[in-house]
Amino acid sequence: MAAAVFPAWLALQPGARTLRAFSTAVSPATRAPTPSPRTTERTSKYERPLRRKALPPRTEKMAVDQDWPSVYPVAAPFKPSVVPLPVRMGYPVKSGVPMAKEGNLELLKIPNFLHLTPVAIKKHCEALKGEKGFHTAHSEEQHYILHYLKFCTEWPAALDNDEKCEKHFPVEIETADYVSAGPSVRNPKARVVTLRVKLSSLNLDDHAKKKLIKLVGERYCKTTDVLTIRTDRCPLKRQNYDYAVYLLTVLYHESWKTEEWEKNKTEADMEEYVWENSSSEKNILETLLQIKAAEKNLEVNKEELLGTKEVEDYRKSVVSLKNEGDNESTLSQYKESVKRLLNLT
Amino acid sequence: MRERSGTPNLHELDAGHFLHTGSQAPQNLAAHLDNQVPVESPRAVSRTSESDPAKHGEQHEGQHYNIPLQDLKAVFPHGLPPRFVMQVKTFNEACLMVRKPALELLHYLKNTNFAHPAVRYVLYGEKGTGKTLSLCHIIHFCAKQDWLILHIPDAHLWVKNCRNLLQSTYNKQRLDQPLEASIWLKNFKTANERFLSQIKVQEKYVWNKRESTEKGSPLGEVVEQGITRVRNATDAVGIVLKELKRQSSSGIFHLLVAVDGVNALWGRTTLKREDKSPIAPEELALIYNLRKMVKNDWHGGAIVLTLSQTGSVFKPRKAFLPQELLGKEGFDTLDPFIPILVSNYNPKEFESCIQYYLENNWLQHEKAHTEDGKKELLFLSNTNPGQLERLCAYL
Repeated sequence: MAAAVFPAWLALQPGARTLRAFSTAVSPATRAPTPSPRTTERTSKYERPLRRKALPPRTEKMAVDQDWPSVYPVAAPFKPSVVPLPVRMGYPVKSGVPMAKEGNLELLKIPNFLHLTPVAIKKHCEALKGEKGFHTAHSEEQHYILHYLKFCTEWPAALDNDEKCEKHFPVEIETADYVSAGPSVRNPKARVVTLRVKLSSLNLDDHAKKKLIKLVGERYCKTTDVLTIRTDRCPLKRQNYDYAVYLLTVLYHESWKTEEWEKNKTEADMEEYVWENSSSEKNILETLLQIKAAEKNLEVNKEELLGTKEVEDYRKSVVSLKNEGDNESTLSQYKESVKRLLNLT
Repeated sequence: MRERSGTPNLHELDAGHFLHTGSQAPQNLAAHLDNQVPVESPRAVSRTSESDPAKHGEQHEGQHYNIPLQDLKAVFPHGLPPRFVMQVKTFNEACLMVRKPALELLHYLKNTNFAHPAVRYVLYGEKGTGKTLSLCHIIHFCAKQDWLILHIPDAHLWVKNCRNLLQSTYNKQRLDQPLEASIWLKNFKTANERFLSQIKVQEKYVWNKRESTEKGSPLGEVVEQGITRVRNATDAVGIVLKELKRQSSSGIFHLLVAVDGVNALWGRTTLKREDKSPIAPEELALIYNLRKMVKNDWHGGAIVLTLSQTGSVFKPRKAFLPQELLGKEGFDTLDPFIPILVSNYNPKEFESCIQYYLENNWLQHEKAHTEDGKKELLFLSNTNPGQLERLCAYL
């Protein structure tokens, strides 16, 4: 034990000679500090940590039939000490040869595909084979597609039409992923999350629905009854997803609450025309009362007057006229109901 | 009789094609009418000798009836459309065509119950279809029946281009329009001479330190005061309106309130004060009093109104439907009312109009009386009465 420890301890010492015992071609003489340094550098050279000699490159220890994919498993820059090929690159000087690979910047700059040798690709395809039983592909693109397909599962057979999907999964989340060839896999556009939900699948009563629509404003589409929330304010996709879900929760709960100031809702805020307590009701009531007074029929009360069928028809026609706007049918309906109400032939 | 005389135009149209009624309605009606009307001489087609509007019925539809020129001056000192006035001068006779909307209104008016609150009838339609002339037809009828006519020829004139606005003496918040008020009072006097001595005011009105109108004096005095003292004209108009409204219920006379361009009462004005702040319609005394007049809290008469985009301010050119022109405020005030659509000519009316022009030698073009010529005119004018009149002026 002690013997094992001893060399390790000694190895920690900078400039320990024991380390050099493992290397083969090191001459102790080269390492000894020169006995006559210049006076200016005397202190620095003595105090400078003694640098160990560079090791021989890994290429010298590589067997010919080694497992190359484990040397270059991913895209990595060209490392001359790891690639055992004697490549040369560069423009030769006069009566010279192209530069060697050691310290060659040109070889570093260009993209290399040392991680995609046929052997490596074969291994990837074998790994991806899975249940699909695909014919092994050899190009990089197909490589990616297979990668995606392996992690997909079958579409559940029970959800065979849109209504069932709507019923069981009313909330739809839309995200986008971006792939590009480049130094980095990140794309800032990938953090956008869109949440879509139909309001009919939420449990909202009349007041809650109106309040929710007012709160979200433009994000609600009236024709398709779909609320769309698009978030991109957080840097990560999962954060945006959480935020979108949080927004939906908050909207739902807030719309069920009724605040103090909601009592001050005026006629101009109303989304649709409400006949009760409107000026139209007052007008017709006054008119009818005057008619009755003219006929000396004084014992009538308001509820009776408003409950007759003519007034009901009139109410419907006014509501449709206000909500749908003027068109031929609403106007003619209104005309007929007024004629009947006022007893004109 | 005919149950559907009330709204034949609207029932026979295809659903959802409201704005294109001009060309579709005539075809449908023509199918009915062609069976009934045999080929007659042109004079019979375009004219009728029945000059009393009270006796106009469906058989006179499409035919022109003559208004004697003295009647014209008495009944319409103001209120006829300017192009019609020119036509009257040229032809030396005033002929109005009897059309369905007017017939419908006449039917309602004949059956008015004067004990019930006044019913409001609103004539609406696209530009140039004949709303103002239909209103004039009604006014003629009421004048013949000896009603008191309160006719405001164009309410738009009271909300734009008015100079000399004064602060009202009666109510500091409101503004007077002396010029417009005095012009209207003069015309009102001409139209209703005989009533002005019969109706007595029921209150004392003090104009200023020296002048006042006693209780029980005839209404004509108030009108005179307004005409002579232009400063008090607006107040005079207000008094006239108030008294008429109060007294029409008593049954001495029947009151017809006829306002052309009633949508001016509830829109915006183009008038500004000296400090360039805009004036709302209700700050004008004339408009304020007129609004009180078109409410249905009085009885003993009827209220006939037309909506007009021509001359209106801040309204798009294509707007003609009631809610578009009246706005929310106007609709709520006028509710409940009977909307009556005035549409373009049907083939019979078109034919009658062309015949009338040909008889008066108005169409000088040699091809004007041929079938092809008529078809071309029909196409160019799209059976719109106003457009046809303008086209024929060039021929």
